[in-house]
Amino acid sequence: MQKKNYSDAELQGLRTGGIIKQKQKDYFILRTRIPGGYLKADILKKYSAIAKKYGRDYVHVSTRQGIEIPWIHIKNILKLLKDLKKSGILRGACGPRSRNLIACPGSSVCRFGFVDTEQLAQKLDRVAFGKNVPKKFKVAISGCLNSCAKPQENDLGFLAQGEPEVDLGKCIGCTLCAKVCEKVCGRGKREPAIVMDKNKRPVYRKENCFFEGDCIRVCPVNAWKLKKTGFAVYIGGKVGRFPKFGIKIADFIGEKDIPKIIKNTIHCYNRIAEKGERFVEALERQNLEEIKREIL
Amino acid sequence: MSNIKIDQYMDLKGVPCPLNFVKTKLTLEGMEAGSILEVVLDDGEPVINVTASVKEEGHQILKVEKIAEHWKLVIKKV
Repeated sequence: MQKKNYSDAELQGLRTGGIIKQKQKDYFILRTRIPGGYLKADILKKYSAIAKKYGRDYVHVSTRQGIEIPWIHIKNILKLLKDLKKSGILRGACGPRSRNLIACPGSSVCRFGFVDTEQLAQKLDRVAFGKNVPKKFKVAISGCLNSCAKPQENDLGFLAQGEPEVDLGKCIGCTLCAKVCEKVCGRGKREPAIVMDKNKRPVYRKENCFFEGDCIRVCPVNAWKLKKTGFAVYIGGKVGRFPKFGIKIADFIGEKDIPKIIKNTIHCYNRIAEKGERFVEALERQNLEEIKREIL
Repeated sequence: MSNIKIDQYMDLKGVPCPLNFVKTKLTLEGMEAGSILEVVLDDGEPVINVTASVKEEGHQILKVEKIAEHWKLVIKKV
């Protein structure tokens, strides 16, 4: 291949597609994305081939469920991008753009998950990834309160919730539901959501519930069932140099409303933030109630 | 419910998770469908985890009872 000299503008252009300058002269890191962290085994092989052909026979797995391939020489970038197109590997983002959407394993395999995060992540990649923003924008989805995908540490986070209901006709009065609830919803000085009455029948108080579903899982006779699922919405989380925990702005949002909420939040971020500012930094100057109305 | 015939009994007091479930599972695997296993478990994580896991394996739990500081689980193999 012909030697090509890249101008600063061209190098900046490469950054939009996840090509990051390494500290070593003439070397770059290829950042890829894996929406929700779900990767077909066949595509994984392509990663291997590319790391062998263009890199140094290894990859780095990022904290955002992406795979990065370091040691790409500048003279090979164009050829690499051609190979990449055919491979099915998705390019990542850097610079002032929204990043790979991350997710936990979800309900297809996890005993705690309420939602199928794989399908959701594939569907949401289109609305959540690669949008121009003032600094960066990260979205995470967790299938339950365990928060494995850390939605509270992302600019926008969705945490699945499950509301339980009890069929007293099936209940055998074993008290295990109240026992698990005591440890979750009744932790510290909180009141639990399930208490047993004097006839050893569970009484549910929704206002105390964390909607994590432990009562449903433990119930030996399936007297506790899932009544409905939805998502808590967190905004303004980040880590970086000055970490902030996201603020919960809604409970039990429907899955079909998530694309709209992502679009609205990215739009809101672009509207209120100055260049180089993270969402939470701009949020601190705003009236939260107005922001909620704009996003939800 | 008091006249359930127990086919096999296992004392799992002091057996930690997940070994208590593994032992329960292996015993159930060696039993005939429809037969009854009674296990005694420690309070706390053991009774919670084993109950949830036995249910996930598809077996039927007939009884869960607290006896002093321990729990008795009566399981019907499916």
